Amino acid sequence: MTHTINTLHDFMVRTEGITYILIVVALVGFVVFWRFLTERDEDGERLGADRPDENPH
Amino acid sequence: MPERKFAIQKPALTPFNVVAGIIVVIGVAITGIRFTQGLAATTNLSDYNPWGIWIGFDLLVGVALAAGGYVTSAACYLFGLKRFHSAVRPAILTGFLGYALVVLALHYDVGRPWRLPYPFIVQSGTTSLLFEVAACVALYLTVLFIEFTPAALEWLGLKRARRIVNKLTLVLTIFGVVLSTLHQSSLGALFLIAPSKLHPLWYSPYLALYFFVSSIVAGLSMVIFESTLSHRYFHDKMDTEHLQEADGVALGFGKAAAFVLAGYFVMKVIGLAQTNAWSYLSTGYGLWFLVELLGFVLLPCYAYAIGVREKNLKVIRWTAAWTVLGIVVNRFNVGLIAFNWHLPSSERYFPHWMEIGISVFVVTLGVLAYRFIVTHMPILYAHPDYDKH
Repeated sequence: MTHTINTLHDFMVRTEGITYILIVVALVGFVVFWRFLTERDEDGERLGADRPDENPH
Repeated sequence: MPERKFAIQKPALTPFNVVAGIIVVIGVAITGIRFTQGLAATTNLSDYNPWGIWIGFDLLVGVALAAGGYVTSAACYLFGLKRFHSAVRPAILTGFLGYALVVLALHYDVGRPWRLPYPFIVQSGTTSLLFEVAACVALYLTVLFIEFTPAALEWLGLKRARRIVNKLTLVLTIFGVVLSTLHQSSLGALFLIAPSKLHPLWYSPYLALYFFVSSIVAGLSMVIFESTLSHRYFHDKMDTEHLQEADGVALGFGKAAAFVLAGYFVMKVIGLAQTNAWSYLSTGYGLWFLVELLGFVLLPCYAYAIGVREKNLKVIRWTAAWTVLGIVVNRFNVGLIAFNWHLPSSERYFPHWMEIGISVFVVTLGVLAYRFIVTHMPILYAHPDYDKH
């Protein structure tokens, strides 16, 4: 009868591996979500854009 | 605004005034009991549960929902988004009243009001998170008071003093952002000391980050929510600038809230992965955690996005109210529901009716103060004798 012994390293690889996959998915997701959020904006409505007469610099 | 001089006086005995009056009378009576007979007579607090709703609601929720002040002034003065200018004064006022009431409510929990300056003069070390919270809240309340004073000075006709305070706007805004970043996160960090008491689904090394990022969402949502209520009840006090900019504020803040909520959602999931707490999701607490995460984070994130895409202000305003409720749920979860989760139900905390009474009393004081200031001072309109700053 054989027993599998998990080392701390095994647990760390699993936990960190899942986290890294989630981060990659999140980074791609952010881009997709930002496009979803702003694709119907007109040029003057982008976040950060101001009324032309108010912030000439 | 000459037409305001001829406004018809409303009767004093409105349903709102009667209800508010009853709450204030009961609140004053409970205050008397609290400060003469102590915590045992008015609360269900114990050695197991030393923090109740006066901390979980009045302080944690109060500070989060008062974040609109630094969020709005940073957007307007630091990021140059002048189209949100009309939202700054109401947001600063809400923030100032929020923090003032947090400090007031803290007296009920701590007792001995004369010891309030103790963190600065009698304390065991500046590395304490409670010291940091006390210092930042005291300083930020001062900053908010000074930021609020231009409206009061215009009301009082003190033009020179108003001009001096106006010159401090940028410095005060920077102070506000720095102090808010520090203490909003520290309120979450307070719970880092209790990893064995806070449920693993809510406990995370990122608690400080969660509290800070969710405070930005709370601030953005609270400005939209408060603006909606102001439009409904103080429409006659608003000038054309406020009326014209209100929709743009809701759209802009709704867009920002959607994106920050998306980031917050991702951080929460990554926190879950880092603490490897997946197995708890299939428990009762896990179900409640998912209600918070999906119902009060992901759902409003999507609803805000839909509202912004469709330019549907009704959706954005309802989502803001839902998000504000979500912040309340989150702070309750961390401070009360998921705290001491391992204790038998007989040892768990449920607030005494007088604790709830004081919280309602404090909120009512805030609403009454807001109403008084908005009806007397130039908060929702620009004073005709002064330039915009």
